[in-house]
Amino acid sequence: MWYIGKRLLQSVFTLFIIITIVFSLLRLMPEEGYLGAAAEKMTPEQQEIILTNLGLRDPLLVQLGNFYMDLFKGDLGTSVTYRTDVPVTTIISEKIMYSLFFGLGAVALSLIIGVPLGILMAHMKGRWLDRLGTGYIVFVVAVPAAVYYIFIQMYVTDIFNLPLLFDEYNKMSWILPLTSMALAPTASYAMWMRRYMVDELNKDYIKLARAKGVKERTLMFRHVMRNAFIPMAQYLPATILFTITGSIYIESLYSIPGMGGLLVDAIQRQDNSVVQGLVLIFSSLGIIGLFLGDLAMALVDPRIKLGKGGSTR
Amino acid sequence: MGDNNEKSRILSIQNLIIKFKLRGQVLTAIRDISLDLYKGESLAIVGESGSGKSVLVKSIMGLLDKNGFIDQGKILYKDYDLSQFSTEKDWLKIRGKEIAMVTQDPMTSLNPLKTVGKQIEECVNLHQGLKGKEAYERTLKLLRDVGIHDVEKRYKQYPHEFSGGMRQRIVIAIAVACNPKILICDEPTTALDVTIQAQILQLLKNLQEMYGLTTIYITHDLGVVAKVADRIAVMYAGDIIEVGKTHEVFFDGKHPYTWALLSSLPQLGAKGEELYSIKGTPPNLFNEIKGDAFAPRNPYALNIDFVERPPFFKVTETHYAKTWLLHSDAPKVEPPQSLQAFFEEGRRYAYEQ
Repeated sequence: MWYIGKRLLQSVFTLFIIITIVFSLLRLMPEEGYLGAAAEKMTPEQQEIILTNLGLRDPLLVQLGNFYMDLFKGDLGTSVTYRTDVPVTTIISEKIMYSLFFGLGAVALSLIIGVPLGILMAHMKGRWLDRLGTGYIVFVVAVPAAVYYIFIQMYVTDIFNLPLLFDEYNKMSWILPLTSMALAPTASYAMWMRRYMVDELNKDYIKLARAKGVKERTLMFRHVMRNAFIPMAQYLPATILFTITGSIYIESLYSIPGMGGLLVDAIQRQDNSVVQGLVLIFSSLGIIGLFLGDLAMALVDPRIKLGKGGSTR
Repeated sequence: MGDNNEKSRILSIQNLIIKFKLRGQVLTAIRDISLDLYKGESLAIVGESGSGKSVLVKSIMGLLDKNGFIDQGKILYKDYDLSQFSTEKDWLKIRGKEIAMVTQDPMTSLNPLKTVGKQIEECVNLHQGLKGKEAYERTLKLLRDVGIHDVEKRYKQYPHEFSGGMRQRIVIAIAVACNPKILICDEPTTALDVTIQAQILQLLKNLQEMYGLTTIYITHDLGVVAKVADRIAVMYAGDIIEVGKTHEVFFDGKHPYTWALLSSLPQLGAKGEELYSIKGTPPNLFNEIKGDAFAPRNPYALNIDFVERPPFFKVTETHYAKTWLLHSDAPKVEPPQSLQAFFEEGRRYAYEQ
């Protein structure tokens, strides 16, 4: 418990630092971002009044303090240019579900396919399945995602007669974005899983287990898999974050109203408060991911002590 | 299998040749070995690194690396010819159940994520058919047998909570838990420090009696051999060049390689003199070896040693050596000066007992 508490505290602290830095950096951005579409028609005096009302003329520390006060109330401010005067939280909450659904869906899919694929590849090392899998991994890693995404959208939609664009009410249109997004993480899970399995299989304790007459299959499942999964646990949070933030391209390809496109839009329109809110959410996701990764590691590996001293489970 | 030996043969290796395919070349690791193992004895196989000791015992358990194969010969155990085994199902009849192994490095030989209790219990489940409470009790007993205290607590601990010597005890407990007839100890003390070595050897000796095991020790440490072995087989370049009772090989060795080995014992070196070492390197096993493999490094080599491989010459009923020096036409060659004193003293001591 002590370990978890410590990690939790560290996470919160990291988050605090990130938010503060992002907040401070955005204060360096041009101020037009806060004035909205009518900025050009305003006199400097009018602009000044708006900025003062927004609290932007206060000292930075006071601004920061206010920001945190609002943050604890769950208020991220209102959008200026993107959708004028709509709270940022509303904008994000409308879109976050899509991104979370596709992001987590893709991660789940890639885990379900990638991990067993890696295990099978390790099991059949050097045989056709292993080669096929390696080919797939090399392909996905070497070819830029944009290229095969487009190919999938162009040809696979044709072949299987799937819809070209996302439609919330047509479940068939969910398939392609989900699978496209899952391709890369599937490859990396398969690659790491295979690698760690092979690593473990060459270790001495496997030799001993074999010598004591454990069946090869039992050996795989009872001894190797769990041990190979430990190093895997550290990749999990990173890929989760990547899949959620990295969906920008997929979202625009299939016109999914998710968060990826939102960030680009908000930056282009200089809507500072939306950008700020989004960065905050992305960084918290990242930190939560890392924390969960550590937690998972601690759960599977008895060498990481959960308790402060004392016995392990 | 009745032989006119007083003890019954439990394992018999006959004309075994093991080869490895390596980068398109073929390496001969075991060159035509025959060796018998008798019930209840402890046999030590000694030899330098790469002489094939480990390969030999791995072939007995079917644990050769994938590129290794038995080219010729038989390994007879009970009614089986182990050299014909190919499927996992065949080997599972032998591994653990009949022949178990104590591996070399206790630091890496245990699964770091399973409690030691579970790892021992796995064997108990597999080979003794015990389940649940019974298996647990049995595991505790095994832990006690290998000299571990506070067994209930230790059962629940992970390997990283044990010291090296303790872990080796666990490894031994795992091997013994299988209830094997033959126990192979592959350099059981190499990774341990000297004080622990003695304890582990004593433990192995005790267990051998307690469980009626036949043991094979693989080692390059002659000190270990002297302590535990009834018989010694000396290996060089994939061949057994001398085999006999411990005192026969130690104090009446016939093969020049055995002499060289014994001479390089630090205990035999005279103070102020340089320690003896064997000149040259072992032969390349990729090439075919003509004659006696040791001949190029052997100061006593005869012409025939470079031409024809020596057969086993009988010294006594139990003592054989592969050297032409024992042929009736060979010139009389005495072992090196420094060894003779050692031989005499040893023989006197051995026969007095």
